[in-house]
Amino acid sequence: MVRAILLILAVVFLAAAPFFGDAVMIQYGIDALLFATLAQAWNILGGFTGYASFGNSAFYGLGTYGTAIAMAQLHLPFWVGLSLGAFLAVLCAVVIGLPILRLRGHYFAIATLGLSATLAAIISNLDISGRNIGLILPLTRNDVGFYEEALALLVASTLTVMWIAKSRFGMGLIAIREDEDAAQVMGINTTFYKVVALMLSAFFTAIAGGIHAYWITFIDPASAFDLSLNVRMVIMAMFGGPGTVLGPVVGSFILSAVYDALARSISTAAALLFGMVIVLAVIFMPRGLWDLGHGLRQVGWRYFLQNIRLHRL
Amino acid sequence: MLFAQIMVNGLLLGGLYGLMALGMALVWGVLNIVNLAHGAVVMLGGYCVYFLFTGAGIDPFAALPIAMVVMFALGYLLQRYVLNLIIRSAQLNTLLITFGLDVVLTYLAQLAFSADFRAINPSYAGANLTWMGVTIPLVRLGAFVTALILAGLLWALLQRTRLGRAIRATAQNLVAARLYGVNPAQLYAVTFGLGAALAGAAGGLYGMVSQVTPYVGAALTAKSFVITIMGGLENPFGILLGGVFIGIAEALAAIYIGPTFTDAISFGLLLLILVARPARSLRGA
Amino acid sequence: MGRLLAATLAALVMSLPVMGHAQTKTVTLGAALQITGPDGNLGRYFRDGYQIAVDRINEQGGLTIGGQNYRIALKILDSQTDLNLSVQQYGQLVTRDKVDFLLGPYNSNFTLNDSVIAEKYKVPMVSGGAAAAQIYSRGYKYIFGTSPPADNYFGSTLEMMTKLDPQPKKIALLVADDAFDVSVRAGVRALSAKDGFELVVDQVFKEHNADFGSLLSLTKSKSPDVILMGGHETESLNFIRQAKSLDVNPHHMMALTVGVPSADFRSALGKDAEYAFGMTPWMASPVIRDRWFGDAQKFAELFHRKLGYEADYHVASAVADVETFAYALEAAGSLDRDAVRDAIAKSDFESLYATIRYGETGQIDIPQIVIQVQDGKVVPVYTDHFLNKPRYPVPTWAKR
Repeated sequence: MVRAILLILAVVFLAAAPFFGDAVMIQYGIDALLFATLAQAWNILGGFTGYASFGNSAFYGLGTYGTAIAMAQLHLPFWVGLSLGAFLAVLCAVVIGLPILRLRGHYFAIATLGLSATLAAIISNLDISGRNIGLILPLTRNDVGFYEEALALLVASTLTVMWIAKSRFGMGLIAIREDEDAAQVMGINTTFYKVVALMLSAFFTAIAGGIHAYWITFIDPASAFDLSLNVRMVIMAMFGGPGTVLGPVVGSFILSAVYDALARSISTAAALLFGMVIVLAVIFMPRGLWDLGHGLRQVGWRYFLQNIRLHRL
Repeated sequence: MLFAQIMVNGLLLGGLYGLMALGMALVWGVLNIVNLAHGAVVMLGGYCVYFLFTGAGIDPFAALPIAMVVMFALGYLLQRYVLNLIIRSAQLNTLLITFGLDVVLTYLAQLAFSADFRAINPSYAGANLTWMGVTIPLVRLGAFVTALILAGLLWALLQRTRLGRAIRATAQNLVAARLYGVNPAQLYAVTFGLGAALAGAAGGLYGMVSQVTPYVGAALTAKSFVITIMGGLENPFGILLGGVFIGIAEALAAIYIGPTFTDAISFGLLLLILVARPARSLRGA
Repeated sequence: MGRLLAATLAALVMSLPVMGHAQTKTVTLGAALQITGPDGNLGRYFRDGYQIAVDRINEQGGLTIGGQNYRIALKILDSQTDLNLSVQQYGQLVTRDKVDFLLGPYNSNFTLNDSVIAEKYKVPMVSGGAAAAQIYSRGYKYIFGTSPPADNYFGSTLEMMTKLDPQPKKIALLVADDAFDVSVRAGVRALSAKDGFELVVDQVFKEHNADFGSLLSLTKSKSPDVILMGGHETESLNFIRQAKSLDVNPHHMMALTVGVPSADFRSALGKDAEYAFGMTPWMASPVIRDRWFGDAQKFAELFHRKLGYEADYHVASAVADVETFAYALEAAGSLDRDAVRDAIAKSDFESLYATIRYGETGQIDIPQIVIQVQDGKVVPVYTDHFLNKPRYPVPTWAKR
């Protein structure tokens, strides 16, 4: 109960923030909220079932291009574009998800990566998507609007994850993560569960892509199907705590803040330090912030050494 | 005639591709690590040969073994003191940590060598011979032969030596590996080092046919993925064959479908092969 | 000793408020440049070009704007060739760092994105490294560019080709699929139809392509008189090296959009750069006068002395961007962004880069000088007449 009230207060605070912060705050806010949404969307499949998707950048790209094609080429309103993008992404999740979700471990990861690269290569050869040159969307001077949209999307995706965590559906996903064959024996239709999780993931990812496209006003295949964006989603979700409700959100807020602070203050070495943060985080807190919180309470600083003892050869 | 020339281009390029993937496949197959920093190691190998050639005047082909030793040391240290620490944690964590290493290596290279492009340009870089109307670039032929030799050496090492048997046993089962009396931490580090050494050789050759910048790594990692999947993880010559297959497919696609479709073709093939393979052989890897 | 120190400190402390109240005010220009990352190689040209121009103007007393003396300050951030970050940083420059005006990043793609910030906040931006037509065709009012239009890059080369003996007929055109090079291609197709050239090869390849084996073999099989190639520097480098190793020789000549003017490119190629035709909108010539640097040649000497490498057209273009603001600020007589924007639109001055006049869309239009590498040096060959004798037709690789 207390937790629910705190969460509602946090959302109200975030919603009111742009009316107090300056324009840069809003800009960073939009980026951070969209990143958190992407991490949360990745969490639905990756966190709960353990299927590490590198194809979310494909859904992001489809959302981006759906929106851009509708607005720049067909001169339709923004919401039509968003819907088109989300539809394409969810469709792709079903059609491609069925064969790909049979694969496990590294092979699934690589197949999804291949999906993203293939789509980018196809898009860069189509006239309707402006080939490799990209598309220009109309300019809007309404950053507060984008901010609130991004916030609404984050809230929606987090509520979805909250529901998943409590539902039978979520139990099924976790059963798949723990032991897929056993889950199957227990009568869980694993394929159905996995595909639905992928569809949900694709939906939120695509909407985030659409909002970003309209906000930034220019897209091309390289930025729409950016693999490093996908890696960032994974890192943020893993850093926060995969398979938890708020972990990915908190994790991505923290990492966005760290990255922006680095990029602003020391500029050139920011990416280098970011890389080091990833390496150290994987070594010392491989199960994310959520687990770190528990561990520190239980065993204090020995938690970090324990992780190494547990996972080293 | 054009067709024959295209086939030869694809074949020779494919050999280099295959060599590039050899190290990745070894590490993947034995240690179950998909090394996202693989391309960065290739890049460092390229710089190594470049500086040995321009700084010390050593012929690039003669510099390859030196670069391989340096990269072996780097790979050994990385596995021994970084990757070994997380080897039993969730599989995804090995992907993340190698991604982090990729970023770190790339940026260190940028700080050390600047973003200038470096081409390894010995006097014979552009030399070629013509055989039945087909032009064969000498350096590419050399790269192809080098790839064959290194694949052969790797095969011999794995099949014919005690170390190789221990490595192969590790790929099956860590406990079995202990029976060979080798310290597994050491064995892992040696295996990763071998992978890095092969990557280093590929980097030197890549610098001769193209050029090296701190940022060439990512594309080479992606290419190595595709080839590793094509070639399977078992046999070094299978990997070379995978490389040749992709090389020829891309060369043909560039002419008969369109030069902007090469990526669509190779990644499309990757998807197709993964999806079409019998599910059993891919399970649990 | 102690007293001396105390006295010095006291003097220092007393001088502080005086410095603060000095009569000079500051106008700040901001840019987020690709200092590191894949574009770091060219991003530094802009950092160094902007900096040397700002320093020089300040050394010579700064600017007089509305009767008040101003110095120029420069705020540069490193976008690390991260497109998203660069957009954020331009936003930060405008809203948090409160810079007065914006200088552009390197390359068309970044400028396409970053100029949105300029337009959103109505801050004039002058960009020195963006030639793609798209940037200037959106109807934006706050973006200006000192790179000539991409579709005319090969204009002077094609014109020269009509006057060469033996006269070339068959062209092989190979360009990358990015915004800039696609504009280049459109231009060549239109012009070659007009001048009666035949395009025997007309191919678009993937950006960042590293292997040209197939395209070169195709080109060889069509035996063209001329090869025109448009791509990034890395692609151009690969193209030439692989052309040599596959023994691909056009009958008469080979020309490239980028690369030939930069020292980095030529040194990477070594002898193989010889005979290559290229283009530049700028040469370090003593004929081109400049208010702050004297002339272009003096500028090039100063630049080389200070930075230790050779200035090329990117650097000159960057200097012209700063000078655009200098002239426009003085003409506007205030720091009011709309007044300065209008003054920029009316720019008409001599700079070490070229005569700066922005067209309707905000883009400058100056001709490309055809250049050729001769004995390791860049020699200007043709503008609308021959400047020097081209080495033509170019010998085959085997005969060099």
